[in-house]
Amino acid sequence: MAKNDLMTRNLMLDSLRQYAKNRISFNLLREHDAKNEIPLDILKEMYDHDILGVHLLLIPEEYGGLGGQTTEIYRICEQLARIDLGIATGVFATFLGSDPLNVGGTPEQKAKWFTKIAQENKLVAYGATEADAGSDLVSLRTRAEHVVQNGRVVGYKITGSKMWISNGGVADIYTVLALAPGGPSWFIVERGTPGFTQDVHEDKHGIRLSNTAGLAFDEVYVPAENLIGLKEGQGFLQAQAVFGYTRLMVAAFGLGGGEEAVETALEYAGQRIQAGGPLSQKQGFMLKLITPHYIRFEAARAYIDWTAKQLEVNNHGLATEGAIAKLYATESGNKAAEDAIQAMGGFGYTKEFAVEKIKRDVKITCIYEGTSEVLEMTIFRGRWQEHLKSRGQYYINQAAEFDALHAQNPQVGADSVALGLRALARVLEDCRANKLTRHQYVTFMLGDLISEMEVAAVFVRQCANKIVTEGSRFDLATLCTMARINARQSAFKTASEGLRLVLGTCPAIDTAQVSQAVNLVAIEDKMRGLIDDMDTVSAKLRDIFKK
Amino acid sequence: MHIIVCIKQVPDSTQVKVDPKTGTLIRAGVPSILNPYDHFALEKALEIKAKTGAKVTVLSMGPQQAVAVLRLALALGADEGVLLSSRAFAGSDTWATAYALATAVKHIGSFDLVLCGQMAIDGDTAQTGPEMAYHLHIPQITFCESIDANGNTVVVKKLIEGGHQILQADLPVLVTMTMPHDYVAKYPSFMAAHKAQDKIIRTWTETDIGADPHKLGLEGSPTRVDRIFPPPTRAKGEVYSGSAVELANKFVEILKKERVIK
Amino acid sequence: MIQIAQNCVGCGKCTAACPFGALSLVNRRAVASSACTMCGACVSQCPVGALSLPQNTAVKKDLSAYKGIWVLVEIGTNAMSQHVRSVSYELLSKGRELANQTGEELGAVVIGSNISAFYGEISQYGADKIYAVDAPAYAHYNTAAYANALITLIKKYNPSVVLFPSTYVGRDLSPRVAAEMFVGLTADCTGLAIKDGNLIQTRPAFGGNILADIKCPDYRPQMATVRPNVFKKVVSAPGKMAQVVPETIAVPAEAAKVRIINTHMDPPVSGLQLEEADVVIAGGRGMKNKAGFDLLDNLAQHLGAAVGASRAAIDLGLKPKEKQIGQSGVNVAAKFYVACGISGAVQHVVGVEHCGVIVGINKDANAPIFNVCKYGLVGDAGQILPKVLEQLKK
Repeated sequence: MAKNDLMTRNLMLDSLRQYAKNRISFNLLREHDAKNEIPLDILKEMYDHDILGVHLLLIPEEYGGLGGQTTEIYRICEQLARIDLGIATGVFATFLGSDPLNVGGTPEQKAKWFTKIAQENKLVAYGATEADAGSDLVSLRTRAEHVVQNGRVVGYKITGSKMWISNGGVADIYTVLALAPGGPSWFIVERGTPGFTQDVHEDKHGIRLSNTAGLAFDEVYVPAENLIGLKEGQGFLQAQAVFGYTRLMVAAFGLGGGEEAVETALEYAGQRIQAGGPLSQKQGFMLKLITPHYIRFEAARAYIDWTAKQLEVNNHGLATEGAIAKLYATESGNKAAEDAIQAMGGFGYTKEFAVEKIKRDVKITCIYEGTSEVLEMTIFRGRWQEHLKSRGQYYINQAAEFDALHAQNPQVGADSVALGLRALARVLEDCRANKLTRHQYVTFMLGDLISEMEVAAVFVRQCANKIVTEGSRFDLATLCTMARINARQSAFKTASEGLRLVLGTCPAIDTAQVSQAVNLVAIEDKMRGLIDDMDTVSAKLRDIFKK
Repeated sequence: MHIIVCIKQVPDSTQVKVDPKTGTLIRAGVPSILNPYDHFALEKALEIKAKTGAKVTVLSMGPQQAVAVLRLALALGADEGVLLSSRAFAGSDTWATAYALATAVKHIGSFDLVLCGQMAIDGDTAQTGPEMAYHLHIPQITFCESIDANGNTVVVKKLIEGGHQILQADLPVLVTMTMPHDYVAKYPSFMAAHKAQDKIIRTWTETDIGADPHKLGLEGSPTRVDRIFPPPTRAKGEVYSGSAVELANKFVEILKKERVIK
Repeated sequence: MIQIAQNCVGCGKCTAACPFGALSLVNRRAVASSACTMCGACVSQCPVGALSLPQNTAVKKDLSAYKGIWVLVEIGTNAMSQHVRSVSYELLSKGRELANQTGEELGAVVIGSNISAFYGEISQYGADKIYAVDAPAYAHYNTAAYANALITLIKKYNPSVVLFPSTYVGRDLSPRVAAEMFVGLTADCTGLAIKDGNLIQTRPAFGGNILADIKCPDYRPQMATVRPNVFKKVVSAPGKMAQVVPETIAVPAEAAKVRIINTHMDPPVSGLQLEEADVVIAGGRGMKNKAGFDLLDNLAQHLGAAVGASRAAIDLGLKPKEKQIGQSGVNVAAKFYVACGISGAVQHVVGVEHCGVIVGINKDANAPIFNVCKYGLVGDAGQILPKVLEQLKK
């Protein structure tokens, strides 16, 4: 059977949207949010093969699933997030929980468990996190000890505990990371196995429609065949292999949550009359609270989609790109949700409108699957290697590509990207020469600047290649304007922030020289017409989202 | 039994906006959907299929992107799709559209039942179905809320002024459907959407179906637009803004002034 | 695609008029994209006549033999008695006006069984001739039978115009006849006039807030349907009796292919009817949900009003279809009409044209409803009406 095409993806998205429209009202969300309750009946319906069967996306076709590609899974994730991030998390936990199996399982294991998940609509949970082991899995405490019979390892006894496990209290099947004698390994543990208990559902700030609970293992016996891959010590590799992929999904969560919040605010602003006209007509309101977020969303969308397409070719890996996508999209979504409340004023602060809940919900995307700080570190490490390996040419080489793009298409901001990339290369080189990365803060901030420039670069490249990312509601001309705005702002941030870091940690350096080195004046010069461009985007937003 | 369902892709009426200056629709960014009446007709055809094992073919006329509604129909359970697409169809009014669709129906081959939505929500004419029935030289029953088919006949519930009739008709017949107001359209599951990729959608032009070019497009369309113009406005009245309470007071004042209440 | 001649001055009038966004200006000249449907809406907008549709190559028929304005008179049945549907008289009244203008005869076509009792009343609305097909076989409407009868008459007498009521019968019959006659048909017209010998048929078109005049210059008869309450009934010939032309037309065999099993009439609806109410309150998409419409029902009780809805609210399932006011719903003629959360696009406004005082309540100060109302309140009806109800309860 062919891979799903764009039309199929759109059909799936339509079905999901229609299901949510008919079945998941804001009142339902609000009540469950207030009661801190997971809408299990909704999840069951979403898994029902005749209604949606959303979990089939993650099951390979040979086991009765859809073998969903990265693109459709991220788009479904974005749509799920627009409905409710708690429900989205519940669905995602099954995706995530199945991943160790997908990456490391033997054909027999896949056949057994995937068929079970597909046919019996099982909820899955991913049991990695512990009190002392979050994104940093090295301090793993949960143990799996050999159970030996007749000199042969027939099974394992797992002892330890996990915390903050999505679907922890409601899943049927758990993939659990534990330290076996041969090293960290994934095990499949079924609900009801003696000695395996689940804690009560956490009382969380947001995603309250998602069940989150601790897991306790007291000498829980699992047969050896439940060791994923039937080989010990593969656990970290199996976990890391999917980081690029899973983080891309959380990136889509940040995007979807943010979009939903700002769209709610924009709809409100179209109707709220202030001083004789709707708020959405006020330039200050739009440029401060609405328009910049849409620009970042479209940048994030372009980057997520581009990464997804790479992942479909490379299958796994792309840890740095996944981290960039997640950092950029979730931080953008989080800030957008915050501004959506601000945009709606007192209304936004009440529970009458969805933005208050979205703001609480979307915060989790900056935390789970790697906090923003862990991601900044990951991104920094990934690209620092490239910078060193290339003797400082990594971004300078890329800048040349954008010079060429600018020559072909001067409308998309490729010139600003080239300036920004060169500034970034310069800042990295100053950091190397002066050993500034001994400051942990510098490494975080470099991770942030790298992500800022790489996203801007991909957005500009997509626009230069006339690609309208699927799922975008804007035409190419508007996307080009957005890419142009974004490139200028990212370049400016990189140069000025880079200066701040270098000068702030290395007082001996000559200010004028560094400033000239990052070409700050040239970047500042690109700001001409920026506000006009933003007004153009605001006008388009009013057009597209007018109700 | 072979059922042919005629469907149309239309802009989503709940999302279209009107340009306040020109009065024309702003179509940019408005998603296209399957015309809800056709969606209902298709579901009825699929119910008959479930009961009798009938084959269901869906037929649409429109630009290439209209293939999306055919795909939706296939995902919902139709067996095959046909898209009529060609510049030759541009400018068609209901007469030429009905002629083209009917010619395509004949080209599909033998059929027992043609189902159409009562009307398309972007045209509101309710003419294409009955006009097709003439071109096919078969009887028509319009504005039906339910349909049941068995063997050689259909039994339908047809709306009439102030009530309804139960009618029976011999096959072949063309029936246009209208949905009850609480109708909620069905959408396919993910698996069904996936499997629809493997079903066949044929794209035909006027030459494929052997249509008479003089009965297509503008030439086959008796109606012409003479002019378009903005709706007449009444003398601009008094417009008030203010808080809800102020406006409520104003409203009560108007009720008294116009003697709606004392 | 639409043809654009060299004399285009690039004024942009056509780009604004195109209902499909298919025209744009490139280098100060209009250019059509593939979105063009050749609807022809732009042609009359061009001040220099640079736009045209491809010419019809078919040989033009001589249309001079087609004379007379015809109206299909619909007989309704209630319980066991028959009556002429009021809309038939509305059409006859309009037909009289048009016939006077063209100096042609007004013909009423009546098909049914035992219908001679109605000829007198039909005559009073100005019919010059009554073409009567009166036989037991026509007691109940049957598409094939009625279409055959009407087509036989049309072919025999060559009328220039045939008007149909836009009822379940008229909307079933007219397209069948138009298809067979190879003529144009315009549904649900809100205005009819004669210009240069052509019937100009006005209706909201292209979905937006625009009206279109439709004509069929090369085909006869010109056919249109009109909904009830669009035109006023006028008794123009009291006491006069039209010439009755009885016709005997056999029912074709295919009529038997569709058979009535039984007929159910709904019990008369209790309460105030939209069409008859002096005060009507209507809600649109802006009322958002069931609770919004509860407010309207509440207010209606206080004011003795009937409650209707716009198409958008009907589409959201907030009211049943028969409560729809406007183009594809009912037309109302209330003395006092309140539109709550209705934007007021032409599809709605044509249904309230005959209302006295119109009050619009809408959050969007630019909503077209404010162009037609005597009183406009810019605000959220969902918030204003509870306050109104508080006051009315006092």
